[in-house]
Amino acid sequence: MIRVWHIVLLAGVLGLLGLFYKGLWGNPSYLPPVLVGTSAPDFSGANLYTGDRVSLDQFKGKVVVLNFWASWCQECKLEHSSLLSINKQYGQNPNFVLLGIDYQDKIDLAHEYLGQLGNNFQHISDPKGRISIDYGVYGVPETFVIDQKGVIRHKEIGPIIGESYINFTQNVLEPLLNGKSVPAS
Amino acid sequence: MMIEIGHLAVIMALVLSAVGIVTPMIGLKRQNGVWIQIGKQAVTANFVLLSIGMATMIYSYATQDYSVKYIAATSNSRLPMFYKVAGLWGGHEGSLLLWSWILSLYCMMAVWIHWKTQPVVMPYLIAMESLILHGFLLLILFLSNPFERIFPVPVDGRDLNPLLQDPAMVIHPPMLYLGYVGLSIPFCFAMAALFSGRLGEEWIKVTQRWTLLAWIALTTGVLMGGYWAYYELGWGGYWGWDPVENAAFMPWLVATAFLHSVMVQESRKMFKVWNLFLIILAFSLSLIGTFLVRSGVLSSVHSFATDPGRGLFILAFLAFMLLLSFGTLIFRSGKLKSQIELDSMISREAVFLFNNLFFLVAMVTVFIGTLYPLLTEALKFKKVSVGPPYYNAVFMPVALGLIFLMGIGPYIPWRKASRESLKKHFLIPLLFSGAGLVFFAILGVHDLYALAGLTVVCFVLASIVSDFSKISMFWAKQRRVNHLSGLYVAFRQNPRRFAGIITHVGVLIMIVGIIFSTIYQTEKVVILKPGEEVTLNSFKIRLIKLYETTGPNWVAQEGFFQVYLGNTLIAQLTPQKRLFTVSQTPTTETALHQYDMGHIFLTIPEVAPDGSWARVRALYNPLVLWVWYGGAVMVFGAFLNIFRPKRKEIYSEGIATLTPFSSKKMVQE
Repeated sequence: MIRVWHIVLLAGVLGLLGLFYKGLWGNPSYLPPVLVGTSAPDFSGANLYTGDRVSLDQFKGKVVVLNFWASWCQECKLEHSSLLSINKQYGQNPNFVLLGIDYQDKIDLAHEYLGQLGNNFQHISDPKGRISIDYGVYGVPETFVIDQKGVIRHKEIGPIIGESYINFTQNVLEPLLNGKSVPAS
Repeated sequence: MMIEIGHLAVIMALVLSAVGIVTPMIGLKRQNGVWIQIGKQAVTANFVLLSIGMATMIYSYATQDYSVKYIAATSNSRLPMFYKVAGLWGGHEGSLLLWSWILSLYCMMAVWIHWKTQPVVMPYLIAMESLILHGFLLLILFLSNPFERIFPVPVDGRDLNPLLQDPAMVIHPPMLYLGYVGLSIPFCFAMAALFSGRLGEEWIKVTQRWTLLAWIALTTGVLMGGYWAYYELGWGGYWGWDPVENAAFMPWLVATAFLHSVMVQESRKMFKVWNLFLIILAFSLSLIGTFLVRSGVLSSVHSFATDPGRGLFILAFLAFMLLLSFGTLIFRSGKLKSQIELDSMISREAVFLFNNLFFLVAMVTVFIGTLYPLLTEALKFKKVSVGPPYYNAVFMPVALGLIFLMGIGPYIPWRKASRESLKKHFLIPLLFSGAGLVFFAILGVHDLYALAGLTVVCFVLASIVSDFSKISMFWAKQRRVNHLSGLYVAFRQNPRRFAGIITHVGVLIMIVGIIFSTIYQTEKVVILKPGEEVTLNSFKIRLIKLYETTGPNWVAQEGFFQVYLGNTLIAQLTPQKRLFTVSQTPTTETALHQYDMGHIFLTIPEVAPDGSWARVRALYNPLVLWVWYGGAVMVFGAFLNIFRPKRKEIYSEGIATLTPFSSKKMVQE
């Protein structure tokens, strides 16, 4: 006699095997060419401290650096002081804005994190990861650079420290802010 | 020459594992014990042959034979001898060889131990174990051969993965394999029970200790992995919900559920199909874990080489095993109606039911989280990974529920609990946990989960202590001895129960460690120049100097720190930023100082090239040692359980013990 659980079990096993089969042909370290060279998806979210709505639209015409982070992310901590010094260096430039997107995080923990590590730029809370999904964020930290026309020009996976900091500032930010075009990478 | 001997031995093992599948089946068909004897000898021979294979590999590592491709990839002349040998499981090919060797060892032990007492299921057991071994040996010989030579011979090896160059890490992978593979014995007994139709309580009784053994190995392996992540990776945390961690955690959850639910079948003859399902699931998850780790379908900190060819083979093998085992379960389940239904929701059976439900929910939670990226990709959604918040949100309530059940399960009667019996046992624990709640709230514990967790821990602890004291008093009175001796008598009377309780106590210790070390962790990340200091809680951590230092196969920048409590110097710490010269891999070497039961944890993730400053990450993890102490107590309880005095196994005559003559006679009759 065939029972319901027989079918559920069999379907489950077969479904799983199918999924694994499909997974084999993907490349786990391959990240979809997330939007580099395409226009940045617009978003709006609440400011982490004031709760005011902040949207990408507001910053049209500027070079926007979007940094996705979370208080539970260890590598973000390593990167944080780099972000602070980037904003110290370029924050005066009217054509530049650095935005933090706090990914799947609790607000009080995020406040504590910024309280401990220091803060000099604006953050937007993304508790359900909606903004992050639009940007295809695979893990934190990830950083996107959007140019004056609203096109994503660069994506940095992992913390911006050491050599990648030098590369990020000199080869990505400087040329963009000086109005030169950078090859999409 | 040496390596060819090993290669040949493994090829012979492949042939003999096929013999091990076929001959017991012929023996069954012809009702002839000789064929099954051949199967038994094949199992023993396989262990010997694979041991030769292992020995020649180890010998070649020790003698630095870099003409072997795999050794050239995972070893180096400058490695200390200890790590040279550990290179064997430093990569894909050697890991699989180790897996197979452990399987052949377990298989031989099971066949020798149960040959006389379990003759009926023996042919099935031999065939099933040989089948698994055959699959793995095919994979080794055709797709990931560690015995392959390389030409031209490299001058030196490419070095062992630096992360593996740590004593804990050398033992961690074999421990996990002992766990994974150990689950194959109960699995094969279950399959043998299904095939032979002997579906009583026998297979449960036989496999209970095997499952415990596998459980101990898995627990130790997972805990060691946690400790390694804690100080070698420099996370400061011991659990990151990484896919590969999850791959080991899922079979652990199911094996734990199984260890609980077997008790229901033993005492109440219920959950028969369920238990078969659980053990098949547990071993399947071991295989799935192997697939996830070895095929590279998921990305993880455990980055292993990937190759779709291997992945496809492991998947085919996995598909075969899953369909065979679950299929047989479905076919045979008609035979397995248990007559007894639950009498009451307030009974030990019901507690076990919830226990199993929670463990399964926990497993499914981890499962979904782990495979989510794979799923979204297959459905052409954007690729998204699942972070710790997901796991914590779903996992915490389940964990709380499970701990709570620990305080009830052992003390509630079977069948149906009366109001009086409930009141008698649970009044004191309830009062105590209420007092605990108030106490911790006043102490300043505000995190909701921490507070709930500690309250539940109080409840369970009070439950255990009050039960222990009642029983020891009873025996003390009965035998006219003091309470301590009374406790000892109680242990002797029911060792299994009390061993289980000790494991529960270990869990409680661990839970307290987890709560405190995660919720009350303090952390500072600062840039320090020599002479500067940072304050962490009541500690002052001062960087004295930064300098370069070298090891056998690495160079490092080392920081010399002094830790003060008030004005007293309590520790001098030297964390490093290391660079392994051969592979040019940087690692972060942690420096730890134990204070109370916690750790001051120091790393220097970044050092200025001229040594003028360092980025310093300082953490204080209160009670973090309880996590591992608790784990040790858990394992100790399980050991007591395994080595408790043995009751006689059921003897039932089957053809495995028949001589050829008597079996002929039987056929004639």
